[in-house]
Amino acid sequence: MTYQLAVHRRTPRLGRRLTLTGLALPALLLMVVVNAYPLVFAAIQSVHSGSLITPGPFVGLRNFADVLGDPGFWKAAGFTLIFTASAVFGSWALGFALAILLKPQFPGRGAFKVLLLLPWIVPIVVTAMSWNWLLAGRESLLPSLARALGMGNVMFLGNPTLAMITVCVFKVWISYPFMMMMCAAALESVEASIYEASAIDGASKWQQFFHIVLPVTARSTYISWILMAVFSINDFPTIYLLTRGGPLEATSSLIVLAYKTTFLDFLPGNGIAIAFFMTAVMIALSVVLLRQIRKASLQ
Amino acid sequence: MNDKAVFAQPMRRRTFLGGTAAAAAALSLGINKSWAQSGERIKFWDMVWGTGQSYTDAAKGIADSYVAADGLLNVEYQSIPWASWYQTFTAAGAANTTPAVSSGAAYLPFYFMEEGKMAPADDLLASLDKAGKNDFLPGLIDALRTKDGLAAVPWSIDLRVLWYRKSILEQAGADVPTDWQSFIKTGEALAKAGHVGFATSGYGFHGIASVLLNNAGGLFNEAGEPDCVTDRNIEGLDFLHELVAKQIIDPYAIGYDYSANVVPDWASGHIAMGFEQVGLPGKMPAETAADLVVASPLTSVSGNKGAAYWINPLMMFKTTASQQSSEAFLAHYLDNLHLFWEQGLNSDLPVNKSITDLPLFQNDPNLARSINEWQPVGKTIAARAKYPFGALNAVDGGSAMINMLQKVLQGESNSRALLEELQVGLVKVLNP
Repeated sequence: MTYQLAVHRRTPRLGRRLTLTGLALPALLLMVVVNAYPLVFAAIQSVHSGSLITPGPFVGLRNFADVLGDPGFWKAAGFTLIFTASAVFGSWALGFALAILLKPQFPGRGAFKVLLLLPWIVPIVVTAMSWNWLLAGRESLLPSLARALGMGNVMFLGNPTLAMITVCVFKVWISYPFMMMMCAAALESVEASIYEASAIDGASKWQQFFHIVLPVTARSTYISWILMAVFSINDFPTIYLLTRGGPLEATSSLIVLAYKTTFLDFLPGNGIAIAFFMTAVMIALSVVLLRQIRKASLQ
Repeated sequence: MNDKAVFAQPMRRRTFLGGTAAAAAALSLGINKSWAQSGERIKFWDMVWGTGQSYTDAAKGIADSYVAADGLLNVEYQSIPWASWYQTFTAAGAANTTPAVSSGAAYLPFYFMEEGKMAPADDLLASLDKAGKNDFLPGLIDALRTKDGLAAVPWSIDLRVLWYRKSILEQAGADVPTDWQSFIKTGEALAKAGHVGFATSGYGFHGIASVLLNNAGGLFNEAGEPDCVTDRNIEGLDFLHELVAKQIIDPYAIGYDYSANVVPDWASGHIAMGFEQVGLPGKMPAETAADLVVASPLTSVSGNKGAAYWINPLMMFKTTASQQSSEAFLAHYLDNLHLFWEQGLNSDLPVNKSITDLPLFQNDPNLARSINEWQPVGKTIAARAKYPFGALNAVDGGSAMINMLQKVLQGESNSRALLEELQVGLVKVLNP
């Protein structure tokens, strides 16, 4: 009787599994086609020396070696690090500060929030163009101001160092609203009673911030750091629309370099090798930060 | 009936899976049918040239007016945006889904020719010869001829000529330059009056190309190998260094984008002189356009004259359903090109003498000078190479040239060192 029941039950369960597999199969195939196929194709191209149309002859790991031996790659890696670090920590610091400032209820709070979100909401093409008008030309507002202050010709997009700073500031400016929203959501999770209890115990505002707010919001902070780091490393339009990676490649991040190498210099093997290096760095970064999230969750 | 009841019924599951398979088969048949249908027409891809939508409408009109002769296929027009156009073409090339016929950027045909994707246009040219319609301006066909045949036929030219603002030169008490020395004098007078005498952005090397080609310089030897460190090129860069040092070139230009900064500077009068497209007045307000004048080609320090141009091609791909149909359609299209200029829809120059001889060109002093004086001395950036080649795409707008331009604009003045660096950069992209 028990055996018969088992057989009787196994058949519909097996059938259900088959059906579910059948239902999932098209989606799985789609995933393979959409994700795995380009990845495999890119991997093949990265070990060939071909054109944008045909893979060309097999060259092993030569493209990777060429990329690693190119000073331009290391220059781009350095700028990517600066760009990402300033985007992550700059936008987080600003976003966190604004989230704390906007936490109490006051008249016009909603309007402030909307205004502060604008840099993130407005399309990047529009913001990049407006920054260009603000900075690029002799008669633009900031160079004119600099001249009026006796600073001479300040070329925000023409001087390599200034261009690097400008691009990083621009990135912080378009990214802080995202961080502000993440931080505001995290701050909502801190119960008012915790602040009250700590105040009764004599904790100052700074002590509340360092010993309550930061630890309680740590998980959300790490998640927002991971997201912003990935957004920044992969951020092509912010840089390209403002400086195209120049002047003198000063603002070429790895993603910009990969694009230029592939589509302007027509060296797809090298361009894809750069992209694979980027992927490896992002995976490593994500693993480290995910561990921090787990640690923060346990605490 | 709950979900478990549904899953427990094998017939229904089979029905579902069978139905899915039937739907997939039906879809597949449908797709096959549409493929078959599209095979009845050859495809013509056209970039968005000239005036945008009005140009596209006119081009589509020419394509739609084509009626194929018996046994030949009709054509289907498709407009292709410039955004990511390299990706569009190369992805199609890799997938063998290129159209039968296409317009495209100057050096694209050579790239596809080397990949074995192009149908040479020699037979088409021979048929135009036979019909007495081969009236292309001098030098254009030679510039499109590769060692494997004619890569494409020309349909318009992006020619760079020296424009100046008449009223501003007069106000500055400057003469119209005729050679490099007088160009510097005029530039100095303009700089003194707060104007720019040599228009450029930090990302377009058309200005540098104009100077190098004006001095009979070039980037390659006859075999098509990089050959940058030559006396003519050194003289060209020395000239540019002088323009930078004397602030005849805007110090801010290194951070300039062409559309966002250079065009408005022309319109405002900040820029008063520079090598630009023949269609520059079309980008300007009416008052500025009326003040713009084309100068005669400069005589360079070596006594040469030259100009830079980019020949816009019409090319045929091997993916056509009928090569004869491709050629017949292109002959029809070339026959009707005059409509673009007659309707004011193209800011580049035409390539046929029958069109450049029209009163609308010869009665306009700027266009007449461009055609009669500048076009005959025009060269592509493949100048000095016997044949054009695919890697020109990586030279035109590639990192090596842009980096050299930006170093010049930054004031680096060792011409030989800059050209040696350019040589290394070009070797890298030519011999990956």
